[in-house]
Amino acid sequence: MFSQRTRILLTALLVASLTFVILDLRGGRGPFASLQTLVSSTVGGLERAGATVVSPVTGVRQWWGTWGDQRERIARLEQENLALRSMVVRSAEDRARADALDSLLRVAGAGRYRIVPAEVIAIGPKQEFAWTVTIDAGSRDGIEKDMSVINGDGLVGRVQAVNRNSSTVVLLTDATVSVGARIAGSEEVGILSGTGRQDSLEFQVLDPLATLRQGDALVTFGSRGGRPYAPGIPIGQVVEVSGSAGQLARIATVRPFADVSTLTIVGVVVRPPREDPRDSVLPAREGQPGASGLPTLPTASPSATAESDAVPVTKEPTPTVTPQPSGGPTDGMAEPSGEPTSAPPQEAPASFVPNAGSVGPRPASCLPTSSRDPACG
Amino acid sequence: MWVRQVILCTTVLLAIMLVQLTLLSRLGLPGATPDLLVVSVVAISFAYGPGAGAAYGFAAGMALDFSPAMDGTIGLTALLYLAIGALAGPLVDPRDRSVPVVIGVVALAAGAMPLAIALLETGLGNVRIDWGQVPLLVLSSALYGVILSPLVLPPVGWLVRKITPEALL
Repeated sequence: MFSQRTRILLTALLVASLTFVILDLRGGRGPFASLQTLVSSTVGGLERAGATVVSPVTGVRQWWGTWGDQRERIARLEQENLALRSMVVRSAEDRARADALDSLLRVAGAGRYRIVPAEVIAIGPKQEFAWTVTIDAGSRDGIEKDMSVINGDGLVGRVQAVNRNSSTVVLLTDATVSVGARIAGSEEVGILSGTGRQDSLEFQVLDPLATLRQGDALVTFGSRGGRPYAPGIPIGQVVEVSGSAGQLARIATVRPFADVSTLTIVGVVVRPPREDPRDSVLPAREGQPGASGLPTLPTASPSATAESDAVPVTKEPTPTVTPQPSGGPTDGMAEPSGEPTSAPPQEAPASFVPNAGSVGPRPASCLPTSSRDPACG
Repeated sequence: MWVRQVILCTTVLLAIMLVQLTLLSRLGLPGATPDLLVVSVVAISFAYGPGAGAAYGFAAGMALDFSPAMDGTIGLTALLYLAIGALAGPLVDPRDRSVPVVIGVVALAAGAMPLAIALLETGLGNVRIDWGQVPLLVLSSALYGVILSPLVLPPVGWLVRKITPEALL
């Protein structure tokens, strides 16, 4: 079938690719880490350049539009019309981007996360079954491995690999990802795992007696030092619970707040907050204001910061701790390392207006225009 | 001839990679991500035969395996593209290459990719593989291959005839 020379070439290439597979499977990317960094930086650069050129898909339409016949006046006018229309579309897109940034800043401000905003520039192919994206911020912007990535709706994923100008983010829907999560308004914790499907995560609550209801919101529980997950980031909402209280395997299906298929602007948490923001980052619930489950929303942060000051003890205990059968063992876990609730008075943040509206003072994070500022990274 | 052939293949590969990574993967189409690279592998294999096709496929697969946002086993895509590049050319005699046959080969190659990846990755113990999604991925990938082939095959054929006319003799 093949000539002698082709056969030799085929064998050589086959051996080469199998070698790569075997080296990769042997663990780590040690043998060709430098090669990968080189290719990643080159391709990442290309992707950045390409993304700048083709970023708004609406722009492509206009670009094609200019290729039309230009002799006739009608054609010109049509073109102008098209250009104007695409400008309208693009200004809508700009507004959408501004909104995305606004909500990202709201989350960052409410949780006092220091973030570096970034844009998604490439998305891994779905036939690889991995949920990964590339963002246009890298080690030069202060990004490090295992930082949390959020957007205006909540947790998106964590940084998996960092190059100079770009990083790879593994999304929370990826089947290899597990996040420690806490049910908002209680101390119940559990493990949330990706399933590889976009709209469902699996949440397994550790305490079999914990109350778990449809509609419960989950926030990150926080890892030591805020890596890979900073505490208090909203994750998603329970849409279905299987098994009843007391059963060993109680698994809830959770829909993430963030729509990972349409990511544009994300923020990388380069420094977690000094204290756990608890549930203050969660958006207000429309349906049942003040109903059971989330009594903490309006009051949690003021009391948490004021109590440390001089308020007498007559105040009732922090409402975040709801009475529950097995609060003891999980209590210690729920507080991440660091100073628990003793912020100095001058730190009492003006930006703690979690539910007062979409726009508030935003001192805790860098504005997008200054994202490349060294002071922000 | 050799130099021109290599330059042509490199240029085609870079252009295709750029479009693949920046445009196609961002469109968010349902099902699989349209795979422009596999179409170009078939195109090169048709133009230059199994040897060059395999070499091009290997290079394309390696470039894709190492590019950011890819997190599969390194070398796997290269292996599969290599096989496609080696087999696509000899599969159809140059005299029998009508448009439907060529597009059929592209669809076959594009459809085989998700299935082969799922099979091999499962064999290698990757926990991400969700077999429930595989049929949809195979079908959509083949369909996108059919849609993309008129955009890739004629330009590549034109370049080949223009830059390396002696290759077609």
